[in-house]
Amino acid sequence: MQASRARLFKEYKEVQREKSADPDIQLICDDSNIFKWTALVKGPSETPYEGGVFQLAFSIPEQYPLLPPQVRFLTKIFHPNVHFKTGEICLDILKNAWSPAWTLQSVCRAIIALMAHPEPDSPLNCDSGNLLRSGDIKGYQSMARMYTRLAAVPKKG
Amino acid sequence: MGHSDAASPAPAPAARDARKKRGNRTAAKLKQSKLETRRGQWLNNSGQGNDGKDAKVAATPTGARSNAGSPILASPHPPLPRRRVDSRSRGSDPEDREEAGATGLEIGGSDLDSPMHSPGSDKSQGSGCGAQRKGFSGNGHGPSPSSGSSVWSSSRSVSDAEEDTGCPEDENEVLDDWEAAADALYDDDSHCHHSSVPTTPPPAPTTAPPANAAGPETIRSKARAWAPDDKFRPQSLPSISKQASFPASIGNSWAGMGMTAAQQGILSLPVSCPICYEDLDPTDSSFLPCPCGFHLCLFCHKRILEADGRCPGCRKQYNTASAVEEGGGGAKETTVGTGRQMANIAPVRLFRSCSMGPRY
Repeated sequence: MQASRARLFKEYKEVQREKSADPDIQLICDDSNIFKWTALVKGPSETPYEGGVFQLAFSIPEQYPLLPPQVRFLTKIFHPNVHFKTGEICLDILKNAWSPAWTLQSVCRAIIALMAHPEPDSPLNCDSGNLLRSGDIKGYQSMARMYTRLAAVPKKG
Repeated sequence: MGHSDAASPAPAPAARDARKKRGNRTAAKLKQSKLETRRGQWLNNSGQGNDGKDAKVAATPTGARSNAGSPILASPHPPLPRRRVDSRSRGSDPEDREEAGATGLEIGGSDLDSPMHSPGSDKSQGSGCGAQRKGFSGNGHGPSPSSGSSVWSSSRSVSDAEEDTGCPEDENEVLDDWEAAADALYDDDSHCHHSSVPTTPPPAPTTAPPANAAGPETIRSKARAWAPDDKFRPQSLPSISKQASFPASIGNSWAGMGMTAAQQGILSLPVSCPICYEDLDPTDSSFLPCPCGFHLCLFCHKRILEADGRCPGCRKQYNTASAVEEGGGGAKETTVGTGRQMANIAPVRLFRSCSMGPRY
C-alpha cells in the first residue's frame, strides 16, 4: 500500500514535470484519491479516431505496480478491442503481459498504439471486429469515424 | 627526387640487407600492392602525380596538426610519406618481384633481428629516421620502459617487414609511411575525433597479417588508422597501456583505464529503481537478478518474487538461484545504513568497472 502510494506520487511528480513531453497525453490525478486518475488522449492521426479526444479512467490497485491499473474508456469509441458499452479495454499489457516497469504514461501510449493498430482477432466489440475481419476496412473506418465525431470531438461553442 | 633516392640506396646495401630482403619478399609484395593502391588514392585525392606531392606537403602537416595530441609525432612525418610511396612503387618494385620467388621461411628470422638492428642503424644514419624514432619514444616524455617496449612490440611486425625490404634509408621511410598514410587518409576523412596517439599503433595490424589478402582489404575500407575504441581493431594490440602512458592521451583516460564507451554507458546506471522510483543504493545497483540486465531495488525484487516472480524487464521468470541470492541480499540491505551507502558509492562503482574490464 505504502509502496504503491509512493510510486504514484513519484509518477504524479513526473507527470507535472514533463507535462509538455507528450502532447497527446494528459494525465490528471483525482484531487482526493491518488488511486484514481483520468487521462485525455488524442486519437492518433491517420486513423478514424483522428481529431477526437478520448477520456480514460484509471483505477489503480493497492498492489500497483505489481498489478496493472484498471483502465477503461469513458468516451464512447468504436474499436474492436474496446467494449462499446463499458469501455473495457482488451490489451495484453493490462492483463497478463503487465510489467511493473510500465507507468501510467506508458499505458496511455500503449492505448494510443492500440487505437492505431486494432487486433480484430480478440474482439470485445464484435461488430467492429467482424467488419475488420471480413475485410470491410471502409465500413469499419466510417463507423469509427462517426462515433469519434459523435462522442470524442469537442463540441464547438 | 623520390626515384633517385629509392633507386640508389637499394642496390647499395650489404649482405644483411639482401638477407632481409629475401625474408621480406612476401610481405613486401603485399605491401607494394597496398602502397600502389593507396598511392592511387592519394593521387586522386590530392591532384595529379607530382603536383599531388606538393599538395601533400601542405596537406600532411595540417593533418598532423589536426592530431593536436602530439606535435612531436606530427612534425617528422610530413616529408617522408611522399618519398616513400614513390620509392616503393617504382624503385623497389622489380626487386621485390625478383625476390618473390625465393624462400618465405626467413620471414620469421628477419622479423626477429630487424627490431634489434633497426635502432642501431637509425643512429648510424642519423637521417630522418633517427628523428622519427625519437618522435616515437620521445612522445612519452621520459617514456617508461614499458611504454617504449609496447610501441616496439606493436609496430614490430610492420617495421620488420618493411625495414627488411631495402636499404637502411628505405627503412626509415617505411616506418614513416604508415603513419603518414594514416595521417593523410585521416585528413581526407576529416574524422578528427582522435588524437595522434592512435596513429602510431595502426602500422602493426596492417602488415601483421602477413600475406593475407584480407589485411589490405580491411585497411583500405577503413581508410584510416584504427581508433583505440574501434570495434574492428584487433584485440591483441597492446596499445591501451601505451596510450595511457602518452601525455597526449589524457583525454582518453577512460580508455587508459581499460574502459570503453560501452562500459562508461554502464556506469551511468539508472539512479532510481524503475519500479518504486526510490534511489538505488550501491547494493541495489550492483544487483542484477536477471540476465536481461534489468535493474531494480532489492525490495521490489522481493515483492515481485512473492507475486508472479517475473522480471519486469523481459517478463521471464526469475530463476530460483537468483531468488536465493535475493533473499540474502535483501537481509543485507536492511542492515546497511544510508550514510555508509553514500560513502560506498565510489568504491562500488570502481569495483564494478574493474570487474567489467576483463570480461569485455
